[in-house]
Amino acid sequence: MVVVPEFLIKRVYKKGSLKKIDNGASLELKNVLGPGFISGFNYVKINDALFEPKDVKFITGGQELAGESVSESNQIAFRLNQEGTLIMNGKDCVVEGKNKIVIEVMNPEAGKVQLSVEDFV
Amino acid sequence: MEITFDKYSLIINGRREFIKSGAFHYFRTPGYEMALDRFSKMKASGYNTVDIYFNWNYHSEKQGEYDFTGVKDVRKVLQAAKETDLYVIARPGPFINGEVNAGGLPFWLLKMEDVIPRNRIGTEYHYSQKYMQYIEEWYNQIIPIINEFDNVILFQIENEYATDTMEEDYMRQLYKMARDKGIKCPIFHNDAYFAGLWANVVDIYALDLYPYINPNQNWRQDNFCFDTLDNVEEIFRNAKENSPPFIAEMQSGWFDKWDGSGYKHIRDALGDEHINIMTKTALSQGVTLFNHYMAAGGTSWDDLACDEVYTSYEFTAPIDEFGIVQNNLFKAKEINYFLDSFEFTNTYPIDFEFNQENIYTKLRHDNINDCDWLFIRNMNSETKEIELPFEKDIKLRPYDMKICPVNLKLKGCEIEFSDVEIFARLHNKNEEAIFMIADKDANIYLKEHGIISGDRKDFDNLTFEKDGKKTQFVFLTKHMADKSWMLKDKLIFNADYVLPNGAAAIEKNADIAYFDLKHKFAKKYCVVTEFKDYHKPEIIEDFSIDFCSPEIDLHYDYSNWRKIGEKTDSLSCGLYDEFVWYKAQIPDNIEEITLSARHLFAVYINGKEVLNRNSYKIEKLQEVPETISIMLDKNILSQDINELTILVQNLGFDKGFSGDTNSPRGLVTFVTKPEIPVQFYVNEKLSLERGDNRESDNPYLTKITVNFDVDFKNDVFFAKYLSLENFWYRRATIFLNGVKIGRYIKRTRVQDKFYLINEFLKPHNTLEIVIWEKDRNIKSVWGFKSDMKNVIIQIGTQKMYQLFK
Repeated sequence: MVVVPEFLIKRVYKKGSLKKIDNGASLELKNVLGPGFISGFNYVKINDALFEPKDVKFITGGQELAGESVSESNQIAFRLNQEGTLIMNGKDCVVEGKNKIVIEVMNPEAGKVQLSVEDFV
Repeated sequence: MEITFDKYSLIINGRREFIKSGAFHYFRTPGYEMALDRFSKMKASGYNTVDIYFNWNYHSEKQGEYDFTGVKDVRKVLQAAKETDLYVIARPGPFINGEVNAGGLPFWLLKMEDVIPRNRIGTEYHYSQKYMQYIEEWYNQIIPIINEFDNVILFQIENEYATDTMEEDYMRQLYKMARDKGIKCPIFHNDAYFAGLWANVVDIYALDLYPYINPNQNWRQDNFCFDTLDNVEEIFRNAKENSPPFIAEMQSGWFDKWDGSGYKHIRDALGDEHINIMTKTALSQGVTLFNHYMAAGGTSWDDLACDEVYTSYEFTAPIDEFGIVQNNLFKAKEINYFLDSFEFTNTYPIDFEFNQENIYTKLRHDNINDCDWLFIRNMNSETKEIELPFEKDIKLRPYDMKICPVNLKLKGCEIEFSDVEIFARLHNKNEEAIFMIADKDANIYLKEHGIISGDRKDFDNLTFEKDGKKTQFVFLTKHMADKSWMLKDKLIFNADYVLPNGAAAIEKNADIAYFDLKHKFAKKYCVVTEFKDYHKPEIIEDFSIDFCSPEIDLHYDYSNWRKIGEKTDSLSCGLYDEFVWYKAQIPDNIEEITLSARHLFAVYINGKEVLNRNSYKIEKLQEVPETISIMLDKNILSQDINELTILVQNLGFDKGFSGDTNSPRGLVTFVTKPEIPVQFYVNEKLSLERGDNRESDNPYLTKITVNFDVDFKNDVFFAKYLSLENFWYRRATIFLNGVKIGRYIKRTRVQDKFYLINEFLKPHNTLEIVIWEKDRNIKSVWGFKSDMKNVIIQIGTQKMYQLFK
């Protein structure tokens, strides 16, 4: 458990950024919390579809990173105000109307950080 | 004292004040004398404020009972601050964090069934009326004491608090409680998330900033770690437009943990560049109140530490655990003196178009001195030559940051620009002496006088006159600047440190120089007569050895111990001490026992050890619980009724920042196979702490007793330590004159040098080291005692200074 208020974590998600792509989804993040590192992608869940790290790509700072390549020994720097695109592949999951999104990542200092938002498409 | 504020600064009795504060834990640096020593060093280094957490837990062992006597006398701590002319930032929680046991919440509170500590379960808000009543009890004790002192300028409610939904009633009630009980000064909260939290509830919005919290990372490579600090003015303005930017905790060091990398590593990793960058960047963002956390390190003696940290809370602070001034103090001193020289309480940012990779710049206009200040930082790993837009060049070393005056009008001349940094200024109506830090790569550009090179030797000086007024530049090398101290209208040179009464402390013979505008330079040669070479620690050869755990012996009488119910954990039993004993009888048909205990524990049956375990494990900031099963056979259960003894060492409750303060400690679960109810009797503390000095038959806990003398002299400052550097035992608990002053755990290899806290030292001292060893390391009872005679224990002196008035 990490006591970062949920409403602050929610700010990392760029509202309205969820998009349906071929066999998957994409969404945008912006780090408004403070500079730090991501030391792992645990999972992304969009509605009932669960995406494991191998199904996730993160594009940020001109780099494309496979979710499974991010680990404690291979952390990604995520600067204050840095933006990134998260791409989930393998399942159609975005529905018209309300979508429930859960993203769980690891941070070396805070441990497990979970972002849970709803967005409309 | 009237304290108001505006968007720029605090205003005390009608005068703007720059608040240069440093954090100090009186509970970790116990007693008036030690507080006075640390405050004096802070004051002489240019701090004008001390930040004090008041630790509820430290003062209240039982509900309704409060102790403010002896080393717990906070009036004396506040008196020491008053005597050294320091303002006080009072932070009585109720929750303080500070890596103290249970975050400063009293243990008795944690076990109350209808109390929800901090009105929070996980991240969810749950208001608890009963919790609020107990806070009122604490505030009723501490606030009247705080109110006795008119040098308290700020008061904090809660600490680093947030919930998912941010209901305001808890924080509003704390604010009201403080006001109702007579707090007159501005009230603030310390926001750990720099997100404007509680800005509407308090008078002044404040936040904390720790860019370096992972000692495994290199802040020099991860140069973006200052991103938040680089934008903090905007955060302040968005949070609360009309309150002055206040960094309530600004990183000046960092704490180490069990299994950590050690304080030497952290001190080396931070260097003195980190505090320089932190503080100057804060100034570049308009901050006029900062609090270096910590200014003085301390010792988590007794049961002060939360489970995360070991005994030393050195924190790589500017004044270390031993009270010795460090390089980061010299850097803080430079900045503090600069701020004293130019006030810096009324500035605003102005546009400055400049872009170069990893070079941070900020230009501010100063309304008081009617000049600009350029802040410039090099985050490249090599020296950079930087061409500034106004046709001046700067050569900046890696990870260096400077504050450069632009168009600064002085009495006898005007600085157009200077990258030779200003150290200090003494001035009167017609004359000023400006002390500059010599730098071979830097220059002072003077209007009408041209360029002055910064390539100078100590005390090189140049004088300029205009309209009957005089400005004298005096150069100091960095080495001399470190040994130079400003006391009001005087500078003292070549001292290791000075005290506010003008006493100069030196380790070796030295030429102490003095300067003031009236008498100019004077010199005094000081000869250190009191000590010569003290650096080599003394190996203690004369000590006694006793087995000291009668509780484990077969047929030990525990009839006066407390009988407990089904729940065996510390909180349920009301046992909060580091050591908790459990005794029970079990029949001989038990095949297996399964237990979980926090943190270190051993199980003995019929006086013989069957398990000895260190169960302490933290992963990703969370405790990793461990449950262990032990198979028992007829050899162990040799009697019809067998005596079971369990000793558990609790390294502390969670500090409550990212975990729960009331996570269980002691014997958390215990199950037998076949499952039978086991009636436990409990007691706490080691036998010597309970005054039971009987020698035991078993060798599991063994006490080494050492006697040593200390020579106290009025004009000598010293700090002594116990070294267990060459110690081969696994665990030890150290007592100095009956006071528990340290925990040693070999596995962690993080601390083998323990401060012999001055407050507890006497002319004749007794040191007791209780070793808790594993059965397999004890070949035979008497052989073990014989082996112990070869143990290497050393007592040394960290530093000694002679004081010259």
